[in-house]
Amino acid sequence: MSSDDRHTLNASTAATDQHPPAKTVVRERSSPASHPQRRATDSRNNRGLPPSVLTPPVPPPPPHLDDYGAIVGQGQLETLRFLAKDLKGKTIKMVNSTAMGGGVAEMLNRLVPLLTELEVATHWDVITGGNDFFEITKAFHNALHGSSYELTQSAKDIFLTYNEQNRERMRFEEGMVVIHDPQPAALIRSCDKSKAHWVWRCHIDLSNPDAKVWEFLRPFVEQYDAAIFSSQSFARQLPIPQYLFYPCIDPLSEKNKELPDSRVQQICDEFGIDRSRPIVTQVSRFDRLKDPVGVVQAYKLAKKYVDCQLVLAGGGATDDPEGAAVLQEVKQVAADDPDIIILDLPPWCALEINAIQRASTIIIQKSLKEGFGLTVTEALWKGKPTIASAVGGIPNQIVHKLTGVLVHSVEGCAFQIRYLLTHPEFARSIGVNGREHVKENFLMTTNVKRWLLLFRTLEQAKSRHGKSS
Amino acid sequence: MATAEKPVSRKPQKAFYFNTSEHLLRIGRQKANTLSEVLDALQTCPDDSIFQHTFRTLQEHHFIRQGFSNDFAHWSLFACNEPALAEQFASVDIREFTAIEGLRRRMVEILDDFLHSQNRSGTRPAHEPFYFCASDIVVLPTAFCPNTLAGFLDGINQVTVHSIHHHFIEARLRLHRMSNDFSQWLEEEVGLNDTADAIERIDIYTNTMEGVRRQIARLVSQAMN
Repeated sequence: MSSDDRHTLNASTAATDQHPPAKTVVRERSSPASHPQRRATDSRNNRGLPPSVLTPPVPPPPPHLDDYGAIVGQGQLETLRFLAKDLKGKTIKMVNSTAMGGGVAEMLNRLVPLLTELEVATHWDVITGGNDFFEITKAFHNALHGSSYELTQSAKDIFLTYNEQNRERMRFEEGMVVIHDPQPAALIRSCDKSKAHWVWRCHIDLSNPDAKVWEFLRPFVEQYDAAIFSSQSFARQLPIPQYLFYPCIDPLSEKNKELPDSRVQQICDEFGIDRSRPIVTQVSRFDRLKDPVGVVQAYKLAKKYVDCQLVLAGGGATDDPEGAAVLQEVKQVAADDPDIIILDLPPWCALEINAIQRASTIIIQKSLKEGFGLTVTEALWKGKPTIASAVGGIPNQIVHKLTGVLVHSVEGCAFQIRYLLTHPEFARSIGVNGREHVKENFLMTTNVKRWLLLFRTLEQAKSRHGKSS
Repeated sequence: MATAEKPVSRKPQKAFYFNTSEHLLRIGRQKANTLSEVLDALQTCPDDSIFQHTFRTLQEHHFIRQGFSNDFAHWSLFACNEPALAEQFASVDIREFTAIEGLRRRMVEILDDFLHSQNRSGTRPAHEPFYFCASDIVVLPTAFCPNTLAGFLDGINQVTVHSIHHHFIEARLRLHRMSNDFSQWLEEEVGLNDTADAIERIDIYTNTMEGVRRQIARLVSQAMN
C-alpha cells in the first residue's frame, strides 16, 4: 500500500465514521487487481462507499411509448405514430459489436423496443469475433480518433475475415440495415444491397482520422445508402448522403428519471455532500481528457470569491491503470481541502449520479477532448446551469449564454463558477433553456423520430429512383 | 396588441387543417473556415441550406425568448468575434421574406458590405468552421381540423409548437405573401381582419414559440368574446 493509499483510507474512514473530515473526502472502490489480499478477505471492501452501491441493482423493465407522453407531450407521440404508420410491417436490423456496456448498446436497448412497439419490427444482432479481431477494432477506433497506427495486411485480413464470417452467419432480410461503427462496417462487402437500405451509423469522431485506416474503411462506407454522424464536425467528405443524428438520453432511465427530493437528500447524506451550501459537480471517468485536475484548479480559483463544494463523481480508477494515475493526480492537487469530494463509483451507480446531478448548483464538463458529451445532456436535462468546454459535440448542446456557458480555460471556468453562483437568475434562465434544448433535440423520442424519418426518406428516394429508371 | 373587434360575423366555409412539419438534418458538403468562405458558400449553397440556418434553426431554438435569431449571427459572434456583423445578421427578420432567394440576397449583401469595410476580417480563421447543413422536410397532418372558431382555438392550444411554427412562420414560403396560415384563415373564412392583422404583428424574436401560441390564443379568445 502506498502512502497515498493510506492517506485515502484514513480520510474516507474518518468520513464514514461521521467525524468531520479533515482532508479531501475520497470515496472509492478497492482495486482487486492491485490488492489481492483485500479481495480474498472482503471483496466489498471499498473504503468509504455506502453499502447501497456495492452491488448492481436489478434493471427496471424498459418503458413503453405512452410513458413518454407526460414528458414530451401527446402531440409528439402522435407524430411518431403517424410516421410509423406508413412503415407498418417493414423491418429494421441493427448491428453493432457489443450487447452490453457502452453508449451504443445502452441506446439500442431502448430504441429497439420502442420501434417494435410502433410496429416497425426491429432486430438487433451483435457481431462475434476473437480477441485478435477486437484488438484490431480497438486499434482502429483509436486510430480513427487520431492516434497513429501501423496498419498491416494481417490486420486487414483479420478484420475482413471476421466480417465475412459474421455476414455468413447473419441473415439480412430486413428493409433497412443499420451498421453501427467501424467494427461491422465491412458486412456490406458481399451483401445483396438491392433488397434493403444500408445505413452506416458512425458514433465516433472522424474529423481527424489516421489516413491509412480511413482509406481502408472508406470503400466500404461508400457502398452504403447513407451515413449518420453525431455532429457536423465528425463527418467526412463522402459521395453518399450524410445525416446528423444527435445522440440522446432516455428521460425515463435510472440516470435521468425524476427523483423525489427525499431520495436525493438520502444519497447526498450517504456521500457526505452538504446540500445547504453550493455544490459544483463534474461527472466523468478519471481520464486526462476530462481534465479533472483542471476542474479542481478552477474550483480553487473560484473559491477565493465564493463558497462552494466540489464533487468529482466518476469511475475508471479501479479497472484502468491510467484512471488510477489520474485519480492520484486529482487527489494531489485537491490536497487537504475538505470541500472537495471525490467519488470513484462503480458503473451501475446511475441512480446515485442522477441524485448528485440533481443536488448540484452548477455542473461542469471541462473536457479537453470530447465525443458528444452525454454528461452535458444529462446536466441540461436536469435544468442545471452548465459550464462546459467548447470541444467535440458540446457546442451543439450549449449555445453560449443561452443554454449554458462555454469555456476554453481553467480561468474561464473559474470565472463562470463565480458568475453563476452570484447571479442565480441568469443561472436559472440558462438551466430552463438547457432543459428545453434537450427536450427538443436530445431525447430518446426524438431519436426514434429521426430513424422513422430516415426510413421514410430512403423509401421515397427508392420509389423516385424506381420511377425514373 | 389587442384590438377591438366586431363579433364573429360568419361561420367558416372551410375547415382549418392543422399540420406539422418534421425535419431530417443533412450534413452538407460545404464548410467555411473564414467569413470570406462563408460569403462564397452563401452564394452557391442550396436553398435548403439557407432555410436550415435561418427558418429551421429558429424553430430548433423556439424556447429562447431573445438572443438567438439565425446561425449566421450566432457563428459571427462566437466563432469570429464580430459583434457588429452578428447584430446585422440578427436583425434580419425572416418573416420579411416570402422566398428563400430574397433572404439569401439579404445575407450576402450584409456580409459583402461588412467585408468591404473590414477587409482584414475576411481571411481571419474562425474558432470553429461553419458547416452548411440542410433539411429534408416531411409535412404531417394532426388530429385537429376544426371548422369553428372554438375548434380553431382548441387546436391552437393543443398542437405542438412545431405545428405553430409550420403555420405561423414557414407558411410565408408556401403562400408567397406576407402573411401566415392562421391570419389567412381568420380573414378569409371568418372575416376577423383585425385579429388576423394583430396575429401577423406578433414579434417572434422577443417571444418563445409557446409565447407566440399564447398570444394567438388570447387574440382569438378576445375576438370570440
